[in-house]
Amino acid sequence: MSAVTFSSVTKRYKDGPKAVDSLDLDIADGEFMVFVGPSGCGKSTALRMLAGLEEITDGELRIDDKVVNDLPPGDRDIAMVFQNYALYPHMTVRENIGFALEVAKMPKAEAKKRVDDAAEMLGLTEYLDRLPKALSGGQRQRVAMGRAIVRSPKVFLMDEPLSNLDAKLRVQMRSDIIQLQARLGTTMVYVTHDQVEAMTMGHRVAVLRNGVLQQVAPPQELYLRPANLFVAAFIGSPSMNLMRGRVTVDDGVVGVSFAEHRLVLAPGAVERYPGLLDRSGTEVIVGIRPEHFAMEGDADVGPDSVMEVEVNLAEAMGAEVHIHAELDVPPASIDPSLVDPGVDPEALPVDKTLLIARVDGVHTVAMGQRVRLAVKTHLLHFFDPQTGAPLR
Amino acid sequence: MSVKRKGPRATATRVATYALLVTVAIIVLFPFVVAVSTSLKRNTDIFTYPPSLVPRTETTVTDPERGLDNATVYVLPDEEGRFALVEADVPIAEFRRLDDPGVIIARPPTDGVETDRTTVVDGDEETVYLLEVDGEEVEVYRARLTVGGRFEPLDGDGASVVTLVNLATPDRVFGPRFENFSEVVTEKNLGRSLTNTMLVTMAVVVGQIVTSILGGYAFARIDFKGRDQLFLMYLGSVMIPFVVLIIPLFQLMLQLGWTDNLVALIVPFMFTAYGTFLMRQFFLGIPKEIEEAALIDGASRATILWKVMVPLARPAIATLATFGFLYAWNSFFWPLVIINSGNPDNGLLTLTLSTLGGRSSTDTNLVFAGAVLAMTPPILVFLFAQRYFVENSASSGLK
Repeated sequence: MSAVTFSSVTKRYKDGPKAVDSLDLDIADGEFMVFVGPSGCGKSTALRMLAGLEEITDGELRIDDKVVNDLPPGDRDIAMVFQNYALYPHMTVRENIGFALEVAKMPKAEAKKRVDDAAEMLGLTEYLDRLPKALSGGQRQRVAMGRAIVRSPKVFLMDEPLSNLDAKLRVQMRSDIIQLQARLGTTMVYVTHDQVEAMTMGHRVAVLRNGVLQQVAPPQELYLRPANLFVAAFIGSPSMNLMRGRVTVDDGVVGVSFAEHRLVLAPGAVERYPGLLDRSGTEVIVGIRPEHFAMEGDADVGPDSVMEVEVNLAEAMGAEVHIHAELDVPPASIDPSLVDPGVDPEALPVDKTLLIARVDGVHTVAMGQRVRLAVKTHLLHFFDPQTGAPLR
Repeated sequence: MSVKRKGPRATATRVATYALLVTVAIIVLFPFVVAVSTSLKRNTDIFTYPPSLVPRTETTVTDPERGLDNATVYVLPDEEGRFALVEADVPIAEFRRLDDPGVIIARPPTDGVETDRTTVVDGDEETVYLLEVDGEEVEVYRARLTVGGRFEPLDGDGASVVTLVNLATPDRVFGPRFENFSEVVTEKNLGRSLTNTMLVTMAVVVGQIVTSILGGYAFARIDFKGRDQLFLMYLGSVMIPFVVLIIPLFQLMLQLGWTDNLVALIVPFMFTAYGTFLMRQFFLGIPKEIEEAALIDGASRATILWKVMVPLARPAIATLATFGFLYAWNSFFWPLVIINSGNPDNGLLTLTLSTLGGRSSTDTNLVFAGAVLAMTPPILVFLFAQRYFVENSASSGLK
């Protein structure tokens, strides 16, 4: 159990851009820290530097107040779970789990006891003599976990350990890992590109983009108070609707208009984003989370906080309906890294903005229908269109 | 197993396929069968006509009453039963019938009754004799006087037969001659050659495996300046034909004082660019994460290499060992050049076999016994290594 400190840690590949750019981060003893970001954001590189698998170009990395920059991986007292598990194919489960102990020349009896304990904890006892190829994906994943916990390391490192599992198993393993970490109390650094995993698992989540740390905060704070446009767009599923809008301040009443819509903001929004008052008549980026829409009548908002849109697509999910619509405004950002990784940014329209609204599942919504959506304006977010900084 | 196509056409295809495969298998196996069978034959048995795949031995009989001691048992044409040669150098006349000169009738000269008539054969005047054949008196002439043998029947009390010895064929039964092997090993010095070859081959194979593993791992995983250029140069040496290297290599051996020494057969061949390439490619195919996991588990480079990489590389090592073994075991030309004093203690299997089977060779059975001895180890090695060729490789530990 140990604290980890990144001080201006930088990684620069030969002739390349900085993969990690002066990362400053304190991870507390026993904390579950998640690194999240789109692919290529440097989260894995940061983890690999912590593991000792990558040289640190600049800065200082400490585990337990001890600088480990030049310590080889084996001497850092860390354990790592890889995305593809990286089990030793020629060793049985027992040998896989016990390999680190064997290398450390631990007495056989103690090593065996530790392996047995770890296997027991992970429900692997009956598979101890099998080879990895005779195991299912979930079992292999647990062997990889066992290999990590058997050493009682100072820090656990996990590099997208669940991404090769099917959806159902992933949910189960997610809670297993949370419980395991809580039980062992070991500091954990967990890398994922899946923001749902990040939100559900981490005590705190560090969002990275292009090697730069964007925000590190507890999950709820990331959701409620995103530090910039990127974090706002990245956290939440479906992601936040972002569109360009013009601010009007008229006699203390703040409104925002985009396309043919105009919303009057509840006082709560201005309290959270006082910067809005200085932006009268200028363009800002308005962020509306899909869940902050409701059918008119479902939400207690005034008629000046309602917008009418034509339904392009309605996805009935049971408990809720996702309404897709299009607004006649240029998109707030066409930066590919802000968009879902699965979406081709070239294919997105340049003069229209896609809007997604989550409304109660009791409503039947058909394509082509016009619906009136109430907006919980006190929950909106506002950002500077140039810098992406929140207008707080 | 997938579902197979059914129906008469599919069956016909399958039968045809198997027939073809069996035919090819027979064609491929036949030389081996002949070699093994010849290696078990007596020398006299090898050139008999019709040839036989089964090694046979001549039966003998011992009968003091008739004065027979370990005498060969013969079968005679046109006579039933077994015979023993009791008297050699019996005068024999070869009579030929006037009306059918193609048939030779071998009899004691006294059997023919001389007449005063003559006949002309091939321009020579020949006296006509009368000879009793199957109770009938026929006119014959005496083509030749020679000596034959008197054969006594061994079964029953029939009359003895006098005939040309070369018409009698020894009575043969199945009987392999395993002494061929011990003879070739002891008398033809093949034992020493076998030991030498094994020694050289083992040393070469072990050396190749060790150097290839170390080199291949370094080229695959350790970053150092000029690594890839060095690797290309090393690999390029594969393209230099060995004949080009013989003279410089010979001079080098001369200066080192290694001529006529087994060391000259081992040291230059312990390094192989091909093997290094093979191991490098295999190591490259092993996921990096496995190595990184071992690094994090605290293993040193050496531990990773011997405990993780080498066990995973077993298929490649088996391939390398097999090729190295075959190459070293069969190498002939370089040993012929460098082991040049004629000292039989430095002989190799290939060299000894070549002298054994040379132009003046008479011991065909021993040559084949030596050949069979020489080809057995490579076959065994191949059979043993074969299962590693098909064994699944490193990827099985992942997802």
